Amino acid sequence: MTGTSLTAHSDVVIVGAGPSGAVAAGELIAAGISVTVLEQGDWVPADAFDGATPHWELTQLRKWHPNPNVRGRAEDYPIDTSHSDVNPLMFAGVGGAALIYGAHWMRFMPSDFRVKTLDGIADDWPFTYEDLEPFYAYVEEAMAVSGRDGNTAYPDGAPCPLPPLPIGKVGRKAAAGMNKLGWHWWPGSNAIPSRPYRSLQPCVLRSTCGTGCSDEAKATPDRTHWPQAIHQGVNLVTGARVCEIETDSPGRASGVVWIDGKGERHRHKADVVILCANGIGTPRLLLMSGLANRSGLVGRRLMMHPFAAVMGTFDDDLESWVGPAGQILTSMQFYETDKSRGFVRGAKWNCMPAGGPQSFRAGYGDGPLTDAWGTTLHERVRRKFGRSFEWGIVGEDLPDEVNRIALSDTQTDSSGLPAAEVHYTVSDNTRAMLDFHTARAVEAMEAAGAIETSVTSLIRDCGWHLMGTAVMGNDPETSVTNTEGRCHDVENLYIFDGSLFPTSSGMNPTATIMAVAAKCVLALIENRATVGTAA
Amino acid sequence: MTLSADQRMHLAEFAKVMIPGGADMPSAEDLMLWRDPIDEVLAIDPSRLEPMVRFLDLPGNIATLADVEALAQTDRAGFEALGIVLANAYFMHPQTRAAIGYPGQEARDSSGGLTPDDEALLKPVIARGPIYRSP
Ligand SMILES: Cc1cc2nc3c(=O)[nH]c(=O)nc-3n(C[C@H](O)[C@H](O)[C@H](O)COP(=O)(O)OP(=O)(O)OC[C@H]3O[C@@H](n4cnc5c(N)ncnc54)[C@H](O)[C@@H]3O)c2cc1C
Ligand code: SF4
Repeated sequence: MTGTSLTAHSDVVIVGAGPSGAVAAGELIAAGISVTVLEQGDWVPADAFDGATPHWELTQLRKWHPNPNVRGRAEDYPIDTSHSDVNPLMFAGVGGAALIYGAHWMRFMPSDFRVKTLDGIADDWPFTYEDLEPFYAYVEEAMAVSGRDGNTAYPDGAPCPLPPLPIGKVGRKAAAGMNKLGWHWWPGSNAIPSRPYRSLQPCVLRSTCGTGCSDEAKATPDRTHWPQAIHQGVNLVTGARVCEIETDSPGRASGVVWIDGKGERHRHKADVVILCANGIGTPRLLLMSGLANRSGLVGRRLMMHPFAAVMGTFDDDLESWVGPAGQILTSMQFYETDKSRGFVRGAKWNCMPAGGPQSFRAGYGDGPLTDAWGTTLHERVRRKFGRSFEWGIVGEDLPDEVNRIALSDTQTDSSGLPAAEVHYTVSDNTRAMLDFHTARAVEAMEAAGAIETSVTSLIRDCGWHLMGTAVMGNDPETSVTNTEGRCHDVENLYIFDGSLFPTSSGMNPTATIMAVAAKCVLALIENRATVGTAA
Repeated sequence: MTLSADQRMHLAEFAKVMIPGGADMPSAEDLMLWRDPIDEVLAIDPSRLEPMVRFLDLPGNIATLADVEALAQTDRAGFEALGIVLANAYFMHPQTRAAIGYPGQEARDSSGGLTPDDEALLKPVIARGPIYRSP
């Protein structure tokens, strides 16, 4: 932990050192505003990750598992998921969950910002794709996005600063199937450089992005943002768990209280407090502080993108452990609403390598526990390993106030603070959507020549994308913040992470989280003189 | 906590039934999986030892997969730990990797980008034109 005095002060204090916190801190310090960032996790050096070791498949089941309940590290807070169909996933560290993200880089589609207008459900965003476009381009530059320009799913083709990664044998096989059906596909866009880029090494296709990149390639804020921000003067404190946002006059925050690894409490005073603790950490902190909840929506409208997958097995050797992972291809063929399908909105597909041999050890379904063993083990691995790939399906999750984060009465984190408790049910709309999409993905596999397909209709460990729990909007009765992330009830308290999202789209959200954070922080800097501060 | 001689013997019985070899892949016995390979796995992830040992201490002879199944139903978490340890010991072993042609998650050059063949595949997608819905 880099030190801070028992009562310290900066112009701004940010909670969380993930992608949204990194964007905010970088812009503020560049504008000459002093910033302290409090992060409960620590730095994770590239050589701590196991991707290049023979035991990569072992440690991804515990040490590098995306579910904090499975990892059980002191810096994680537990999450009670007994009332949830889906487990939220995240990582505590400098870089946040991006340390273990897949780096699938997707802008939302134009229609995602107009769901109410187009489909009569949920809400429109307070701005459009065109409004956000310059911010996408800005963060993509920092995040070394590799991809092929001209994607026909976007009005401007979603240009990328770096050329695409190879699509390999898997990509060619999947693309041929899609072409047979006349369906949209596009080479994957990833926050992974295909060339040496600034502080990043070129990707070596090791395919272990989801358990951390040991090759210093994947774009994560600990490489893309924090070194420069710290060099410019940001004070980033690790091992610092914020337990309360303090106020000292009605409607004004005065700073935060945080707890270090030894259990000691510290007070940090600031003129502005910004929460970048993700769609669960941010409402948890607001609920612990009893703030900004006139609308009753803090923690509500949780969206997590239920995920399904179709695996296809082929006769050919596809070397399907080779990356990136990362996404090799994407498809937006069935992204937009077609009400004749029996549900609204749609899903994005990503073509992924199948991974190492243990991906094929277990069978599917509720067969005997020993189904994965004996001669079956050998036959299954021989038949599938290296010859399989997956179409993953990210379904748009619509906001519902009953899906929510609460504070647990029974579980605490290592600092004695209440754990998060998740109440979340997969909706009928989502189930119908995933059924439709998995059926189409089976067709795509068969068109590509699959000799065998298997469908996983909903994966429980799929809460990668945490959104909606402190929604932005114009009306203080129906939203938590204004359209620039400023809390209606506490005028110098801001939220810049995925909690703000009115709807979730069917896209991986980090591009939009970072673009929205950039838009919001630039507005904060511009309006700085008018921001009220604690007395 | 370490494995006693009895527990290791019992582990060998499980390993032989669960990983019999076949499809040109080695058996647990070929690799003597219950010796160094298992110790290597437990050194990397010691959290698997306690539930696995609990499972190994269940009484019963192990001659067939049906015997394993019966015990597995009485302690699913213990069986899962045993499975993770055995599978990782097996697939981390160089002989198994050689047999299935798996070099591990190796490093390759990514600078080649899209080949002319890839671009040719993309042509019909481009020819069909935009697919987004204007709001
Ligand atoms: C396994 C996995 C794969 C993913 N793959 C993709 C992908 O391919 N593409 C994509 O777009 N997105 C992906 N995501 C999602 C992506 O990682 C997140 O959208 C992104 O990291 C969000 O950034 P953030 O800064 O808002 O939050 P986070 O990255 O979650 O960062 C929040 C930080 O706040 C800290 N924090 C929380 N509470 C406190 C507190 N009280 N005190 C101090 N610190 C606190 C946390 O420790 C954490 O470091 C994936 C996520 C996971 C888990
Ligand atoms: S595929 Fe590339 S970015 Fe991903 S882990 Fe491997 S080297 Fe890193």
